Amino acid sequence: MSEVLAVDAVDLTKTYGPLRAVDRITVQVAQGEVYGILGPNGAGKTTFLRMLFGLIRPDSGTLRVLGRTWPRDGIRALQGVAGFIESPKFYPGLTGRRNLQLLAGLDGGVPAARLDEVLDVVDLGARQRDKVGGYSFGMRQRLGVAASLLRDPRLLVLDEPANGLDPAGIRDMRALVKRLATSGLTVLLSSHDMGEVEQICDDVTIMNTGSVVYHGSITALRERAPQQAHELTTTNDDRAAVLAASRGLEATRIDAGLAVRGAQDEIDALVGDLVADGIALRGLSRRETPLEALFFMLTEASPDTPTRDLLTAGAPR
Amino acid sequence: MTLTTRSASTPDVRVMRRPGTATVLRWELTKLAAQARSRAVLLVALIAPIAVVLVLNGQEQPPSDTIYGRHIHTSGYAMPLLMLAFAAQWVLPLLAAVVAGDIFANEDQHGTWKTILTRSVSRSQVFWAKTLTAILFNLTVLIVFAASTIAASALIIGTQPLTGLTGQLIASGTALRLVLAAWATAVAPMIGFTALALLLSVKTRNPSLGVAAPVVLGFVMQLLSSISGIDLFRRFLLTTPFESWHGLFTQHHFYGPLIAGLIVSAGWTVVCLAIAYFSLRRRDITGG
Repeated sequence: MSEVLAVDAVDLTKTYGPLRAVDRITVQVAQGEVYGILGPNGAGKTTFLRMLFGLIRPDSGTLRVLGRTWPRDGIRALQGVAGFIESPKFYPGLTGRRNLQLLAGLDGGVPAARLDEVLDVVDLGARQRDKVGGYSFGMRQRLGVAASLLRDPRLLVLDEPANGLDPAGIRDMRALVKRLATSGLTVLLSSHDMGEVEQICDDVTIMNTGSVVYHGSITALRERAPQQAHELTTTNDDRAAVLAASRGLEATRIDAGLAVRGAQDEIDALVGDLVADGIALRGLSRRETPLEALFFMLTEASPDTPTRDLLTAGAPR
Repeated sequence: MTLTTRSASTPDVRVMRRPGTATVLRWELTKLAAQARSRAVLLVALIAPIAVVLVLNGQEQPPSDTIYGRHIHTSGYAMPLLMLAFAAQWVLPLLAAVVAGDIFANEDQHGTWKTILTRSVSRSQVFWAKTLTAILFNLTVLIVFAASTIAASALIIGTQPLTGLTGQLIASGTALRLVLAAWATAVAPMIGFTALALLLSVKTRNPSLGVAAPVVLGFVMQLLSSISGIDLFRRFLLTTPFESWHGLFTQHHFYGPLIAGLIVSAGWTVVCLAIAYFSLRRRDITGG
């Protein structure tokens, strides 16, 4: 792995009036990694990515992209970097292929065969002669990936690539990103979906209200995640809560019934207890994955709660 | 399905061939050519003068209260001057603004700033490419508009000698040269209005405002110029240079207004472009 980091952001800060959109964040991505930037809407992910592309100037801090900086290298800081911020935008009156041709012109041009290649990669070969105005949201997302690949990048930055897609679109986009990741690219993926990042990324930075609340490997994060939570609905939720507590399960009231957290075999046993106690089971479903639970803990906690406490509290018991 | 990408062990970042400003200019011109609006403007500049000349020539009562209005039936060279005086009031500012007022704001409207600025071109290159595109387009529109007006007038009314503003008779050949020169004086304020529209396009980020605001400002300047007692102020208005051709049609030509018009137009152009340039350079692209 090269010594030069794909992304080396140190103490980046960006404020808009009283709002601190990004607050002294440090993000370091090695080349070849598939890295996730995770956080709820408004966490500062997109602001960070915009700074990476030079669309926004940070107020303070340093940012190196593949060893280059914006103040020193200007537009050359984007050599080897491609991607899109939020949803990719194109000229609706032009065809998909023409849009790509024009954009390629802004990179010095590419052979027609390369256009065909990237259009095939994103499965838009058959629709390349259609105007982008008639494309579905998912097709535009895929055209955005194609436009990025034209730059032959070493660092691919994708901001919420599955956002707004239907389930089939999400599946296709994730498959595409996974395929790209296996080709040796460094991928920096921003998302608010823990499940998506968990499936695709090796390492992750979790942001909340402009600050980093966790950074490290998905594996390490998984070890600290709380146990699986299930949503339980019965004919007697009060009694079910007592039975859950007797098995050492953590049960809390929610609108739909009970949220029960604990080891899977204890939850299986609880179902038997309920039946034995004459309580009918109306519903039992997985509420969130352990990592999702940890993500919500990290991003919904009070800003005053130290992250290390949350991570300790969320660790398996 | 195969995909060619660089491996992580590639020692150096691929050096992309950074395009020059000429390439970005070609890119802008290609986009402009694809717009129905730009083709429509050129078509209007070509056809509208012919229709206006036909209508005015068909009227028994010429518009005597406007400059050269009373002479439109006696010389085909009077009509282009009447048209120039009329067009200067709002047509030329509008023609200048249709593309220029939209060219930056359009990227905001479509959200395509991030598409462009994440490629290998700098903001400066994009700025100058768009500015040159707008200026080239507007000069083309002005040339088409002038050529159509002059040709239609000459063909429909004739090439009779023209009466000068001081009553002298101007021979046909000289009149044609002077009419061409009069239209040429509109180039500088036209570029000034283009720069104003570009500035408004950058600052408002709204295509409608970028197109409409220069026309409204042109009207306001016309109104201000009609107020007596503010002669010094009037000299600095961008609409004043549109009248600088009057000195060409007197017995003894005077060029003072022409020179002043060039300076005023250049001033407006430089100031507007400088503000627009630095605004775009310093701007955080948070939306489009």
